[in-house]
Amino acid sequence: MKKSIALLFIMVLIVAMTPVFAQGAQERPQTLTVYVGLLEEHGAAICQAFEKATGIKTQYVRMSGGEIYARIRAESQNPQASVWYGGGSLTFIEADNNGLLEHYISPNAAIIDDKFKDPNGAWTGIYSGYLGFYADGDWLKRNNVEMPRTWNDLLNPVFRGEIVMAHPGSSSTAYNMLTTILQLQGEEKGWEYLVRLNENIRQYTKSGSAGGRMVQLRETALTIGYLHDAVAFKREGYEHIVIAAPEDGTGYEIGAVGIIKGAPQLEAAKKFVDFVLTAEAQEIGQTVNALQFLTNPNARPPKEVESIKDTKLIDQDDAWSGANRSAFLNKFNQLTRTAPPN
Amino acid sequence: MQESQNALYSEDSNFKRYFKQLKFSLRDPVLMVSVISVTIIVALFIVIPLFSILRESVEESGKFTLQSYFAIFRSSYDLEIIWNTIKLGIVVASLGTAVAFLFAYATTYLKIPNKKFFKVLSILPMISPPFVISLAAILLFGRSGLITYKLFGVRNDIYGFWGLALTQVLSFFPIGYLMLTNLLQNIDPSVEEAAQALGSNQSRVFRTVTIPLMLPGLANAALLIFIQSLADFGNAIVIGGNFTTMAVQIYQQGIGSYDMQGATALAVVLLMISVLAFYLQNSVIGKKSYITVTGKASKQRVLNANKKVTIPVYVVCMAISVTVVSMYLLVPYGAFVRLWGVDFSFTTRWITYVFTIGMRYIKDTTVLAAMATPISAIMGIVAAYLIVRKEFPGKKALEWSILMAIALPGTVLGLGYVLTYNTPPLILTGTGFILVVALVIRSMPIGTRSAIAALKQIDPSIEEAASICGAGSHKVFLSVTIPLIRPVFFSGLVYSFIRGMTLVSTIIFLVSARWQMLTVAIMNQVDQGLYGAANAYCLVLIAIVGGVMLLMSLFVRTLGINLNEGY
Repeated sequence: MKKSIALLFIMVLIVAMTPVFAQGAQERPQTLTVYVGLLEEHGAAICQAFEKATGIKTQYVRMSGGEIYARIRAESQNPQASVWYGGGSLTFIEADNNGLLEHYISPNAAIIDDKFKDPNGAWTGIYSGYLGFYADGDWLKRNNVEMPRTWNDLLNPVFRGEIVMAHPGSSSTAYNMLTTILQLQGEEKGWEYLVRLNENIRQYTKSGSAGGRMVQLRETALTIGYLHDAVAFKREGYEHIVIAAPEDGTGYEIGAVGIIKGAPQLEAAKKFVDFVLTAEAQEIGQTVNALQFLTNPNARPPKEVESIKDTKLIDQDDAWSGANRSAFLNKFNQLTRTAPPN
Repeated sequence: MQESQNALYSEDSNFKRYFKQLKFSLRDPVLMVSVISVTIIVALFIVIPLFSILRESVEESGKFTLQSYFAIFRSSYDLEIIWNTIKLGIVVASLGTAVAFLFAYATTYLKIPNKKFFKVLSILPMISPPFVISLAAILLFGRSGLITYKLFGVRNDIYGFWGLALTQVLSFFPIGYLMLTNLLQNIDPSVEEAAQALGSNQSRVFRTVTIPLMLPGLANAALLIFIQSLADFGNAIVIGGNFTTMAVQIYQQGIGSYDMQGATALAVVLLMISVLAFYLQNSVIGKKSYITVTGKASKQRVLNANKKVTIPVYVVCMAISVTVVSMYLLVPYGAFVRLWGVDFSFTTRWITYVFTIGMRYIKDTTVLAAMATPISAIMGIVAAYLIVRKEFPGKKALEWSILMAIALPGTVLGLGYVLTYNTPPLILTGTGFILVVALVIRSMPIGTRSAIAALKQIDPSIEEAASICGAGSHKVFLSVTIPLIRPVFFSGLVYSFIRGMTLVSTIIFLVSARWQMLTVAIMNQVDQGLYGAANAYCLVLIAIVGGVMLLMSLFVRTLGINLNEGY
């Protein structure tokens, strides 16, 4: 008796399982699949809007930029998704160098500034974000310190052990900061600066967003990161956060969209790229707390970032940054002795 | 002794022996079918993906190279990370096993109050993705921590070795606890009573009877905790700070620096360390006999009420439990406050969010975990039974392959699946099936290890008796072995389901637009600093797991298995 109940239980489970095997396999070719490297809500909102505009059924998977790259590479023999939407342009360049991207120049890309797109159409910029500082305002008040205005302000000894930033080896945000310094101050002085800054750094985190979360929870006084993230925290209600863009000039990231080589839904993917370059699609971001600057000049930028829109930007050379990556990282590891303590 | 005998066999007679075993298998079709099916599953979903990873680490544009391995052993940074990882593993394994044993001993041997509370508490840390514990540790013990700063005014830097060790001990001791309680329950009280009757005092009985009987269990628990600590990514990334471990470095190198070759090479090194640990454990403990269940009728244990023992044990267990409880109280609290750290007013915003946008995650995860649960529990027991009781060619290889599945960092195993099953002849990516497989493969080895430990306590002569009376392999297994180790089977079920609901790293490359997992959603929220939504997800997850555990224990009870019964 007992045994037959158990047997029945197992059989019911096996029967219940069959749809799982079938469904996944069946469903694939009919819908457009997008790998989203942005906020979850942002991905959901864009896919919904695209579906409404074109009638093409769209699904997404959210991952970090590096994860998307690794996955596309692993899947290159039989791509599972057609579009890569969101994530830093450096990762797209790396993917393109490995032949993982389909080249497509969208007619809607014509009005986008040349510095925000690849001339061959491997990727096109959808937004940009500026590097800057953000701090716990209460901490500054308690310690009677002004918010830093330039890169050199960060060297103030009062910040010793209070700055957290990501490690350039693991975070594209931090690597962008490293090359910004080298471009801004020249290589020799730049390295000197990084060594001196190292004295004030308490911790190099793995992920570029971790420092921001630590400021958010008052775990640290100051971090270096993309300002739109900080603005988003502020808008959520974390009002103790103070932001500043370095007055002597700063680097920026470009968020891009691209089509995956061998995309199972190539035509739909092209339509998707056309769509996300339009002003209307770019403005969707603000409704879900994604507060970057937009690449389409006709799109209205989020009003929350207006105060920093005139930030002085450096003439960023991404090709140079990409080519020297391992040399710079090795030098950084050596100079800062970022071998783990303990 | 046995070894020296083996050495006397020549190559030739060794072969003959294998052949004889094979013939024996043919006479026992049930045995053969189960050996073959377990082997096929293990080969397809452990060995072949492992091979893909190995190939990735030595192949550069179609040519063979050991470049990445040389690079690891030349870099002082990488060597330091390897040493860090081993050091952490040893500390976590010893502390974790000690805590697990303390809890197991307290709940089965001692006469202390609040046992139910301790029992629940000691599995609680399993029921959530591991980064909940590290996040809670930061919120409670960090620089602005509720306890360290708000209560004591201490600016404590929790990031680093000890913070990570603390969270790993709390995350992984429950596995050890589950395993050790099963074993302690299986020890026949009359063994210890005999020692006492012969004049030994309690501490002597503990030292010379209980502990030696527990040795294989303790070693197994320590091994499991060690391996899990090695492969742990979730805690290490959140709370590791400047202290880098191999699992984190593998992720950084592979995902952050696009260097998959270097990352997989490091993963292979990590795997070797786990294998070495397993080998050491096996060669030290594996050869001795620890049989205690001999089929004689046994009675209820007389619980130890000696205050000198119970009070300190009670205090320590209570302290750990209170820490765990306070960590978990943060989850419902965080789920219902408007903004963690700023605005602590009540809101249902996050719960609503979870049940609208998050609904598909909840549904998919529950369905997939429910499917993986019976499969991995049954497979775990069957594999353990085959390994401990049966002789067949390739047995050792099978045991080792199963162990390797937990030794790999999840991200790497997931990547191995994508590398292997995204192209013909077998395309599985994008299906729910591959996720079920991942869940099964990640939880089954632990079920196998605890069943192996339990089976080693049971005298095979009971089964032999049934066999002599004419029962076939399956009959012996179903009506003798399973009933003897049913608590292990039950905890295997519970564990598989929990693991299915909370697994993170392996599935990150396997989730598809059609099949999503809850833990990935939680990780995304944590990554964006949206603690409200993350906590709300965790709350739902804990509620589902709790509900299912309750249902399972009711179901098991209707089958007539009393989990509290001794032997």
